Amino acid sequence: MMSLLPLIKKEFRSFTRSPLGWVLFSYTMIMEGICLSTAMKSLADTPIAENLVFVTFHTPNFWFFFLFLFPLMTMRSFAEEERSGTLETLLTTPLETYHLVWSKFLARVLFYALLWLPGIGVFLAFGWITDLPMPFMKEILFSTHLFLFILGVYFIALGNFASCLTSNQIIAGIITIGFLIIQYFLGFVTVIWGSHFIAAEFFNLFSAQAHLTNACRGILDTAPLILYLLLTIFTLILTHHAVNYRRWKR
Amino acid sequence: MINAQNLTKSFGSRTAVDDLSFTVDKGDVIGFLGPNGAGKTTTIRMLTGYMPPTRGSATIAGYDIRKQSRQARQAIGYMPESVPLYDDMRVSEYLKFRGRIKGLSGRRLKERVSDVIEQCGLVEMRRRIIKALSKGYRQRVGLADALVHEPELLILDEPTNGLDPNQIRSIRGLIKDLAKERTVMISTHILSEVEMTCNKVIIIDRGRIKAADRPENLVRSLRSTGSVILDTKAPAQEALASLAELQHVKKVREITGKEGWNKYEIVVDAGTDARERIADLCQQKAWSFRSLHRKDSNLEDVFVELTRRD
Repeated sequence: MMSLLPLIKKEFRSFTRSPLGWVLFSYTMIMEGICLSTAMKSLADTPIAENLVFVTFHTPNFWFFFLFLFPLMTMRSFAEEERSGTLETLLTTPLETYHLVWSKFLARVLFYALLWLPGIGVFLAFGWITDLPMPFMKEILFSTHLFLFILGVYFIALGNFASCLTSNQIIAGIITIGFLIIQYFLGFVTVIWGSHFIAAEFFNLFSAQAHLTNACRGILDTAPLILYLLLTIFTLILTHHAVNYRRWKR
Repeated sequence: MINAQNLTKSFGSRTAVDDLSFTVDKGDVIGFLGPNGAGKTTTIRMLTGYMPPTRGSATIAGYDIRKQSRQARQAIGYMPESVPLYDDMRVSEYLKFRGRIKGLSGRRLKERVSDVIEQCGLVEMRRRIIKALSKGYRQRVGLADALVHEPELLILDEPTNGLDPNQIRSIRGLIKDLAKERTVMISTHILSEVEMTCNKVIIIDRGRIKAADRPENLVRSLRSTGSVILDTKAPAQEALASLAELQHVKKVREITGKEGWNKYEIVVDAGTDARERIADLCQQKAWSFRSLHRKDSNLEDVFVELTRRD
């Protein structure tokens, strides 16, 4: 833990000190704002029997901006250390590979959690700003953001894994996008083919869209949450082995 | 301090380091020499725990690099060839970060960072962003980093690579000072650097040790084979043929030719002195000559002799 803290701090500072961190922060706030205003316009134009949080996170913009957050956040993590040679200086100190894997992961999880805070603030201030009754329950805001947090944790682990496969951060970003698009379209398999085949349950389990829909209605299903956490741990272990494999083979 | 036994590293079918065994005693300053691609960096990477050997083993300060890797790495201060640093950090901030991950904290960390900043001549640069530093100062930051946790062994991979002559002189001075208190292993192909700073030399080529001894012993062993330099005004073909026929002469090579004068390097058998016979030949053939002397060998000649591929 003593070695982990300075590493996490260093990783987190790489966001606050570089334009990338601030660009990501602005990007998230602007896109969330667009989603919220689109949702408010939709609710004003057509009566919909859903709450504001549901409509906000079901606008066409949402998945587009959400999926692009992760390659931008993770593409530098290992790729840049390998390109610049700092990976060698880190791993020839008394640190172990798992220190690097966990510190890069935890610093990004922390940064990711902070990205959502302004958006949550805007939702909470809705009633105060508009002087209207809150068009959602606070529990729904909580369940939706808890689901997005856990999904994001898994996506960060995937992004870090992609970044340790190459020393080129652009390629790392493209690989991450590839992983996330595959994950996203797994959720559409049963929509396209129907649910009348044996593996349908499996595809439903991976449907992030369906899980988000549930969370936005206040239903927090623990099965996908546990699945994402297990996948996160599996991806972190994979990252650990990939980092070792790449440095030992060169 | 270092005890390497049969260290071998293979990458697929290519063997980069082949059965390397050597020892380095406490307090030694070792020059680890070899041409580009000889396996120096791979050996260093195995010793520093960055990659495991395919076969063989090594101990650093008594710790096995495989089984007690963490303790072995704690005993090493390592500066890689390209001196990779975090460009967005300030010098003192970077050294504090490096100190922390090497296990320092609190007052001890502050003291050590302050000491290495002073020792490496970085006092005026401590608040500078690393990106803005010259190559010489980056090298000093790399050295300060390697020293911050007071390692017993300092391993420097090409420490003066890419520096201008003034920077080389200043870094060399710094390494000389550091070598007074600890064991140092310097990988380089700048031989003057080794002659000035090291008390032992290991020369490797194609992953194998070619020689390991004190620099003066290596030079002496080469001198015992011996070369004579003759500067004469003689027809080149005739001179090459006649000199080659002399007793104890192994090889004759024309070095330079200018305004009718030609310089020859005459390699003779160990323990022989062919100068008298050469002088007699010149007299007999009526060749004027303006110099005839034994060639002084240096470490560069040893290096070339052991590693040349022609």
